[in-house]
Amino acid sequence: MNAFLKRFGLGTGLQGNRHLMLLASFLLPILIWAAVSYLPFIWHPKVLVEAAGGVDYFQTGMLVDKAEFADQAAQMREQGLALPQGRPANPIYLPAPHEVARAFYTAFTTAPEQRGAPWLHESLWHSIQIIFWGFVLSSIVGVPLGILAGTYATLARLTEPFIEFFRYLPAPAFGALAVAILGIYDGPKIAIIVIGTFFQQVLIIANTTRKLDATIIEAARTLGTRGARLITRVVLPGILPDLYRDQRILLGWAWTYLIVAELIGTSSGITFFITQQARYQHFDNVYAAIIIIGIIGFGSDLLLAALGRKLFPWDLAQKRG
Amino acid sequence: MLTHKPILVTLKRALVRLLAPAILAAGALSAQAAAPLKVGYSDWPGWVAWQVALDKGWFKEAGVDVKFEWFDYSASLDAFAAGKLDVVGVTNGDALVTGSGGGKSRIFLVTDYSAGNDQIIAKPGIKSIKDLKGKKIAVEEGLVDHLLVVTALKKAGLKASDVKFVNAKTNELPQVFTAPDIAAIGVWQPIASEAIKAVPGAKAIYTSADEPGLIYDTFAAQPGVAKARKEELKKFIKVWDRVVAYIKDPATRPDALKIMAARSGVSPQEYEVFVNGTHLLNSEDAKKVFTKGPGLDSLYGSTENVNKFNVANKVYPKAENVDAYLDPSFALGK
Repeated sequence: MNAFLKRFGLGTGLQGNRHLMLLASFLLPILIWAAVSYLPFIWHPKVLVEAAGGVDYFQTGMLVDKAEFADQAAQMREQGLALPQGRPANPIYLPAPHEVARAFYTAFTTAPEQRGAPWLHESLWHSIQIIFWGFVLSSIVGVPLGILAGTYATLARLTEPFIEFFRYLPAPAFGALAVAILGIYDGPKIAIIVIGTFFQQVLIIANTTRKLDATIIEAARTLGTRGARLITRVVLPGILPDLYRDQRILLGWAWTYLIVAELIGTSSGITFFITQQARYQHFDNVYAAIIIIGIIGFGSDLLLAALGRKLFPWDLAQKRG
Repeated sequence: MLTHKPILVTLKRALVRLLAPAILAAGALSAQAAAPLKVGYSDWPGWVAWQVALDKGWFKEAGVDVKFEWFDYSASLDAFAAGKLDVVGVTNGDALVTGSGGGKSRIFLVTDYSAGNDQIIAKPGIKSIKDLKGKKIAVEEGLVDHLLVVTALKKAGLKASDVKFVNAKTNELPQVFTAPDIAAIGVWQPIASEAIKAVPGAKAIYTSADEPGLIYDTFAAQPGVAKARKEELKKFIKVWDRVVAYIKDPATRPDALKIMAARSGVSPQEYEVFVNGTHLLNSEDAKKVFTKGPGLDSLYGSTENVNKFNVANKVYPKAENVDAYLDPSFALGK
């Protein structure tokens, strides 16, 4: 763990504190979750029936409201019938940490029940590819367009009003159209990621470009730099560290579109796993899958942040970011 | 400068990836007969049943080339309407809804009717549909279980206006049901079981078993496919008969349940409940179902019934021509 943290510049000197903070920032929510799950007096609004006693409609394993359970127990006592037995429990929608941990483990270690069905890691890999291609395709157009719009005011006035408008439109609503054009497999899913990312990307990168010190551009122009050279020799080097950080944030943004994107066309990837398990109320599996997405997202961002520090050692903001 | 080459390579691969489906689609058009029959199916016991045939390789034995794709139900209808699927699993009512938007289809196979899987679940104290008068019922409006509630009310001598409908997403109905002012919900399995667990003492007071044939589950083909690829669809139906026999035979039933449960991601015991709520139909049963008649025992009567319901609930503006959707030539051998 220490070596790992050190690699990411989190374990040295003044930064020793950071290392602790990182741990604490995860430990706190987990502790709250554990407390809510294991300390019955905090929440536990339900009772898990362990023996039905004389109550005709109770079944073992059934979750009942606390008041309802008390009411039935009182009735049984009056009628002199066997009392129902049960213990406090949370609603099914909030599984306990150990249940999720077990689901997490079994998801990776048990072969899928159905022959030929993908393993969880194969589903995950499929999802990662969707994100990757959606993000790459969006960036191929979005990054250059953002830089140009940020450099040339005329282009910004021409493109940005429409982009501002379009970025409010719900990307998933284009799902049916995407299927009609791109088929039922990965095409429409990638398209939704692109639609969800692209418009934000252009605006954010244009803004970043605009923040470049105007005097630098002024000076370059005075010295006769024009057109492509102005972009590649002055603007791009000037904004590169900020651009890199924008892209990191946008990649995270792309992930948030994954679940809706994967519901379009054939069911695939991690979304298939989540929706299928949720339909049958296996919420331990659902939370395990959600946490996996978090780990992949956070992990890749940590890596990219570390890479940023290597690539742009002069940029102090990378050290903080 | 060093980064140029990888970017170009990436770009090229991305383009190939994007264009490949289009090229394949173009190729498929020119050689349609050779392309496998593309079938979309989703999580309903009567359709998950196909998994048995897929696992056992029965399509190959029957000499028909199929490609089954697993979908979320509404996504499969979108893909069918966009012409990306040859055949899709759909209820007779939803075939009309999809068709009203332009995605016409021909129903050539009836897999089952719901016999208990669709339920009206009421809070404790409500014993029959009559007790629902003046109360609030939550359903997803326009879908099959809205139809089930309206039909049940009519049978009990009530009008739709005698109750108050609350519109909610099917998946969220168990949570909606816990609200104190909601007296009942109309919902299908597996969500129905979860709703019963969510409100202790709640019971199904009316189910699709009381109304056999209200909702038929079918496979529908693109009209062009139903005509041009008739021989393949006939073999498709033969495989279906084999599947039904395998599920019904007590000797092979456990194996069938195991395969189906795996497809849905639940245990076989859990899944058996849902299979029991589904009345599977083979091609012998289909002869009766595809015979014209006004009652729910005929696909014609049933589809006309849901057609009226859809118009009354403004799902689409004017009635669809039911005969155009039903292709009895497969079942009746004409």
